[in-house]
Amino acid sequence: MPPCVLCGKNIRNVHNVFTQYAELLKKESQMKILVCISQVPDTSTKVVLKDNNTTVESAGVTYIINPYDEWYGLIRAIELKESGIAGEIDLVTVGKATTEPVIRKALALGGDKAVRIDAESTDPYLTAAYIAGYAKSMNYDLILCGKESIDYNNGTVGSMIAGLLDIEYIGFATGIHIEGTTAIVKREIEGGEETDSCSLPLVISCQKGVAEARIPNMRGIMAARTRPLEVVSPAVIEPVTTILSYELPPAKAGVKLVDPADMDQLVDLLHSEAKVI
Amino acid sequence: MSVIVFVEHDAGIIKKKNFEAVQYASGIAQKIGTTVTTVILGTIADDELKKLGEYGAQKVLHVEDSRLDELHPRAYTSALIAAVEKEGAKIFIALNDINGRAVAPRVSVKLKAGLVAGALSYPDTDKGFVIKKAVYSGKAFAYVNITSDVKVIMLMPNTFPLAKTEGKAVIEKLAVNFGDKDFGIKIKEVSKVTGEIALADAPLVVSGGRGMKGPENWYLIENLAKELGAATACSRPVSDAGWRPHHEHVGQTGGTIRPDLYIAVGISGAIQHLAGVNGSKTIVVINRDPEAPFFKAANYGVVGDAMEVLPRLSEAVKKFKQHK
Amino acid sequence: MNDVENVKAIKGGEFLIRETNAESVFIPEEWNEEQLMIAETCTNFLAQHVTPNLNRIDAQEEGLMSHLMDEAGALGLLGISVPEEYGGFGKDFKTSMLVTEKLGAGNSFSVAFSAHSGIGTLPILYYGNDAQKQKYIPKLASGEWKGAYCLTEPGSGSDANSGKARAKLTEDGKYYLITGQKMWITNAGFADVFTVFAKIDNDENLSAFIVEKDFEGLSLNTEEHKMGIKGSSTRQVFFNDCKVPVENLLSERQNGFKIAVNILNIGRMKLGGGTVGASKEVITMAVKYANEREQFGRAISKYGAIRHKLAQQAMLTYAAESAVYRASQNMEEATEMMIEAGLNETQAKLKGTEQFAIEAAIIKVHASEVLDYVVDEGVQIYGGMGYSAEAPMERAYRDSRINRIFEGTNEINRMLTVDMMLKRAMKGELDLMGPAQKVAGELMSIPDFSAGGEEGLFTKEKKYIANFKKAILMVAGAAVQKLMTQLAKEQEVLMNLADMLIELYVSESLQLRVEKLVGLRGEDSCKEQLDMMRVYINDAAEKIARSGKEALNSFAEGDEKRMMMMGLKRYTKTNDVNTTQARRNIAAKLITENKYCF
Repeated sequence: MPPCVLCGKNIRNVHNVFTQYAELLKKESQMKILVCISQVPDTSTKVVLKDNNTTVESAGVTYIINPYDEWYGLIRAIELKESGIAGEIDLVTVGKATTEPVIRKALALGGDKAVRIDAESTDPYLTAAYIAGYAKSMNYDLILCGKESIDYNNGTVGSMIAGLLDIEYIGFATGIHIEGTTAIVKREIEGGEETDSCSLPLVISCQKGVAEARIPNMRGIMAARTRPLEVVSPAVIEPVTTILSYELPPAKAGVKLVDPADMDQLVDLLHSEAKVI
Repeated sequence: MSVIVFVEHDAGIIKKKNFEAVQYASGIAQKIGTTVTTVILGTIADDELKKLGEYGAQKVLHVEDSRLDELHPRAYTSALIAAVEKEGAKIFIALNDINGRAVAPRVSVKLKAGLVAGALSYPDTDKGFVIKKAVYSGKAFAYVNITSDVKVIMLMPNTFPLAKTEGKAVIEKLAVNFGDKDFGIKIKEVSKVTGEIALADAPLVVSGGRGMKGPENWYLIENLAKELGAATACSRPVSDAGWRPHHEHVGQTGGTIRPDLYIAVGISGAIQHLAGVNGSKTIVVINRDPEAPFFKAANYGVVGDAMEVLPRLSEAVKKFKQHK
Repeated sequence: MNDVENVKAIKGGEFLIRETNAESVFIPEEWNEEQLMIAETCTNFLAQHVTPNLNRIDAQEEGLMSHLMDEAGALGLLGISVPEEYGGFGKDFKTSMLVTEKLGAGNSFSVAFSAHSGIGTLPILYYGNDAQKQKYIPKLASGEWKGAYCLTEPGSGSDANSGKARAKLTEDGKYYLITGQKMWITNAGFADVFTVFAKIDNDENLSAFIVEKDFEGLSLNTEEHKMGIKGSSTRQVFFNDCKVPVENLLSERQNGFKIAVNILNIGRMKLGGGTVGASKEVITMAVKYANEREQFGRAISKYGAIRHKLAQQAMLTYAAESAVYRASQNMEEATEMMIEAGLNETQAKLKGTEQFAIEAAIIKVHASEVLDYVVDEGVQIYGGMGYSAEAPMERAYRDSRINRIFEGTNEINRMLTVDMMLKRAMKGELDLMGPAQKVAGELMSIPDFSAGGEEGLFTKEKKYIANFKKAILMVAGAAVQKLMTQLAKEQEVLMNLADMLIELYVSESLQLRVEKLVGLRGEDSCKEQLDMMRVYINDAAEKIARSGKEALNSFAEGDEKRMMMMGLKRYTKTNDVNTTQARRNIAAKLITENKYCF
């Protein structure tokens, strides 16, 4: 029998046709999520500077998915797909070819396809502009990113993407629920927590509480190489910031040990020497 | 062409870190020969606004719309852009805190402005407009040059000490037209942690780890915190085990704090924990194990049993405060 | 012995008489991205589920080990090389070895895992008929059912075929009734399926049966109190006219012993991988401790005595790992060749494993003794804390010891190594005679003092290894000639020969690995690996000399002995190496990286 004109799969029987069509319709009505993934050095990496302190040594560095992107953004998206709310999860990374192993790790956890925008990601404005440029025509209902990346600690890309796409932004989310076309988001505020509701589309930056980290299972790992990883060229945009140089913090003077029986001395030191109380 | 500063308030009270932002802006403005205009949104009394003059503001633009008492990034951005345009500002300053991070980046893309988040220095105008910030979770610093015409800086709180001046600010009301789209976020519920000092900007913090053995011993930490007037925090295993609420967790994947004083009790000092607290001015480590890695990152250390040391330290602080 | 044959598949045991091309070995530095992801999943699994719970596991908290197996199953780790048609992932042997290695750092959990996915699953997978495989394998692969293996009895350990368990067919021909007592059964406390070995009626040889835990007549004793791997369930299993349907006879009657031996071959290789994984983890703990612990004002990692231990631990582990993956690759290639020749997958796998049974035995002995060394010095590095139950090294020390005992004691495996070599030679499968005679001829003639060709980076080491082979052929040839059939009774000589073979195989595996690595990364990036190779071979030469000397002294006499002693000296002579400095270099790298980093 010829393949189905709607979905392209082989028709085995009539029931099969209807099931596949129903699945296709369902997919169209489900949420489309974009998860922003960035590659960062492993948390225990020692920072080594080179080239007269203008670059950070990358040799010997183990790279990982930014934990906030992985544990919170990506896993929440996967949970939403598992519960049937989301139909498609796309991953996007701004990075050179050396970021592909990390992207595939993300695909091993979940995600239908990944897009790599072939550029360095040192300027947050450029990173946001590239992603917004890609997302513009894709009609994502939800764009998730981590609260910040652990290498540059900016935490600004999410808000920038929202600004460029002219959609709402909620940051420091600690919980995300979707009800129809509305997101109910718990977020951290100073001295407490706030629950917001907002219509989709929406950009949310995620932190602890949104989801729990998962270990990629064998099925996911094997599926990772079959999921598409598309590479796109970045639009030409002028950078607005450059990192001129780096610096290591000054070596800490050795710790001053205080006799545990003499806490008065500690208080005195904190007051007169450190001047913090 | 003044320097614009986005100043926030909490139910009509301006917190210390906002004055730091004004002072920072004032330093920059003086250097380039211009004035400081602060922008403040929502319901707040003029008497409170006058304080901004004491830290270097020449003008206060007050957008008095009560809808702005809650964070609405779109509305805030519209208001701030209106202020920037009114003043013809080329430099926009905000705090690197929760609200700042929701709003300043959005403002920066509208202005096509380069942005440095977490500034630790005044801009060095010899090499361009170069600002120092922490990277790799505090393991290094980067010097970032903003090359765009308009520049946005998000200041790290508690970086520069405050000094009051005799300055006075002129208060002006600014009317901004908002659309419905600007208030797309509906706030359903707010729960504040009451009766405690908020951890985020607390200058003094007492923090406990697995060495405290169990939640039943936390009263020792809380007592010391009370005597000091400090906030309490904890390490990740403690938060994971449910001994303390999640918002107290500081570390790589928890909160990042930069208090003047961080007292770590029974915490070994793993890299992931240090990432959250290495910006602290002074670190005191109390641990039974003399080999605990945290001692290498500490200014002062006490090798001893927390159960014995904490009560002694609380007493010593109490005595100190009484004699002040 | 001078031509380097580029033939892909070397046969089992042939390492003694052939050179291997470094290009043809697999080295762990070549893992692909997917394999590394799988390895990371294993490591993350241990970090999240096992390591934080080691005390609870050792206390045998009810349901905990079974739950951990469930979690491992959910990640797909229990079905790595089970064919996809039975719900597994059909991965190659090397990948499943990698999983075993990474999970090997899981103390009691590793044993439960290995017992389940190895001896608990493979008998059915390799010897079951379609119905049996369909019924049991998918559930074992997913972890829904847990597996165990009942061979050993109170009266039969090494002498497995002497087991007293008996099976009797019922009158109606529908059931076998098994009666017997099995001992030291891993996973017994929570297993759902047991592969049980018993003799039917008066058979000479064992048969194998698939027994479900709920079959009538099966009962368990209480948990054994063990020195180590306390978290692993170890019980006696009692069969009292245990009713087993005839459909559950596994393979043919009296084929049990063959099944046991073949599965053991795989188990021995896997034990090599698992102990290497455990060694790496222990070394990382030791380095970290040495870097933090200060005495006399400095970290103890700064002291030479400690550095020596760290370097030794790392070198032995790196060497063992080289042998494990070299043999794994050989097995995989042999299997592939047999599939191409027309054998079905199962047959090919069994034949491939059987081919490399000698290497499997060598690896089992070497890697388990390496781990015992590593944990022993690990305790020493930890000092007083090494003796304390508050620190992890004490558990590592106790958990390691069993590796020299189970899967065939190291003594049995040593004797098997030599026994299998000689048997293959006698059957004409392995030409030892020719090369041995060549060596004998060489002994008579004047040594070749010519400078030889250009000296490459590995010329010396390759020469030493070639000489080691000659030493072994010389001693083994003489032993066979002198002792003939009595050789089987001269266990001390067999042990000597085995030790020589082990050091040869591991030395060569290490040399080939480093050679390939230098080809990939350049000499400058492999300094510590080159140091490890030189030190290991230097030490191996002495060990081979000592074993050879002991053997010769026990059976050779007069002129013949004198000549062979001279030959032994010649074939184990190596240039002086500053092993102290080399070890310092190796230790320095470990100390900078603060973990096992090779």
